[in-house]
Amino acid sequence: MKTITASKVAKVLVCMVILLLIVLPFAWMIVSTFKLQKDIIKWPPTFWPKTWTLNSYISVWDRIPLARYMTNTVIFAGLVALFSAFLDSLAGYAFARLDFRGKEIIFNIILLTMLVPFQIVMIPLYIELNLLGILNTFVGLILPRITSAYGIFFMRSFFTGLPPDLAEAARIDGMGEFGIFTRIMLPLCKPAYITFFIFCLTSNWNDLIYPLMMTSSTNMRTLSAGLATFVGEGVRETGPALAGALISLLPLFVLYCFAQKYFVEGIAVSGMKG
Amino acid sequence: MGERKHSLTFVQRWFHKNRVGYFFILPSCIIILVFTLVPLLVSFVLSLTNLDIFLAMPDFTGLDNLRRSLADERFWNAMKNTMAYVALSVPVQMLLSLLLAYWLSKPTRFNKICRSVFYVPVLCSFTAIGILFNLILNSTVGYIPYVISWFTGETMALLSDVRFAMPIIIFISVWKSFGRTLIILVSGINDIPLTLYEAASIDGASPGQQFFRITFPNLLPTINFTLLTTLIGAFQVFDVVYVTTGGGPLNSTETIVQYIYYRGFSMPYELGYASTMAVELFLVIAVLVLIFKGFLERRIRQIY
Repeated sequence: MKTITASKVAKVLVCMVILLLIVLPFAWMIVSTFKLQKDIIKWPPTFWPKTWTLNSYISVWDRIPLARYMTNTVIFAGLVALFSAFLDSLAGYAFARLDFRGKEIIFNIILLTMLVPFQIVMIPLYIELNLLGILNTFVGLILPRITSAYGIFFMRSFFTGLPPDLAEAARIDGMGEFGIFTRIMLPLCKPAYITFFIFCLTSNWNDLIYPLMMTSSTNMRTLSAGLATFVGEGVRETGPALAGALISLLPLFVLYCFAQKYFVEGIAVSGMKG
Repeated sequence: MGERKHSLTFVQRWFHKNRVGYFFILPSCIIILVFTLVPLLVSFVLSLTNLDIFLAMPDFTGLDNLRRSLADERFWNAMKNTMAYVALSVPVQMLLSLLLAYWLSKPTRFNKICRSVFYVPVLCSFTAIGILFNLILNSTVGYIPYVISWFTGETMALLSDVRFAMPIIIFISVWKSFGRTLIILVSGINDIPLTLYEAASIDGASPGQQFFRITFPNLLPTINFTLLTTLIGAFQVFDVVYVTTGGGPLNSTETIVQYIYYRGFSMPYELGYASTMAVELFLVIAVLVLIFKGFLERRIRQIY
């Protein structure tokens, strides 16, 4: 009995420490965005601002092309997630429910590409996009991402779990395979679709090296790549940089508050063995 | 059967159940072929050339790049830093997540709150995390150096100190990503049939015994897979370094991807040489994954 309580105490203590380690930096950051520049760089640092101000939130829009970055990120991550969820559900459905020659081999090759680090393909990809003339455009940014091995794997495991009789009944009624997919399967896979959409949106929203390499002009940068270069180039004022960072997190955070279930599901499947 | 097949038109035959699958997978296959498999092959070819960013006709230089990298001190330094990062961050993240997953798997209110909060850093981009930590670690305005100065009497520039930069980067990286591993392991634990635990408690097994005899072996495939992906991800570490130290001080935190990026995308844009190092990184990962997978699968077979 004694050991159980000891481990309970340890658990609560450790978890509390970690909670503090996560909450405090964010709290510090949020409060700092309401400080005057001179309060942010004050020594010794204090948690509460002397005077509360919205200056950082006002000036950030002039200092950093944040609106541009936000639009680009929504277009990039949103379209990638939308297309990828559709194409991956198409492919995932075929791998789960249709028979064709070479199915196993093709699926295994696709799974193996998950193990290929992005760094090894990034230079040829850069050259390829350049030769196609779509470097530094939305098409170039989005096209290589509109399908993913993980998405196909994810959708396949979802469709495998559906009862096969549904399609069989429709097939006997003479419905074509595309009809079965769009009219019967797609409505059923709405939860999986949302889950993968959110997973894909999050990872592309936050991706750094890919948009950093494939865009060169400021007005093509995404939030994550744009803020990184801007801070790297030394925006002297801390307030606007912090406000910008916070604004860049906000959309995903709000989404997380309302749809936590979908975030968790998208991650949980990645632990399943293929 | 044969007669029926002949009565179908060409189009109908192609849209038959046994062929139509190709149409479903075609878009995805083209994308993966063009943007992953072809670049993968091209990468191996590029690594044998002296291509630069102006894409003029490159010379075939054979294994010159390989030889050059083996003599390149900065390459070895980057390899060493990457290895140090992998060797520390991966076990810390896995063990921490495993312990927390064991503690937090039941859906009580406290556990749910912990899980929700622990996942928040995962949502954030490394860029935002970098800006955040640059603020609180900054030697002239940051809170952490201030707290440290209570004890040591002097303020330290933590991120620009060779001794502390790498450990701090590892801390930030684990801080940001352990929530993800935690979620995967929790869902793995919750997939284990409850009947196993019920049977064990009837037989009088202690919680410790239950963990090592039921939870751990049943969770092994999940752990195995997660470990593998964490390991591969750790070798490719880039973001966390880029937004905190940028590789400094004195290249003490420069990782291999950092160095590849630097060689390929800043003057004099040596894409060929950068490709060689990317191929070398790929080979290191491939070999380790093979060894690791073999080792882990043997362990799993032993336990069952």
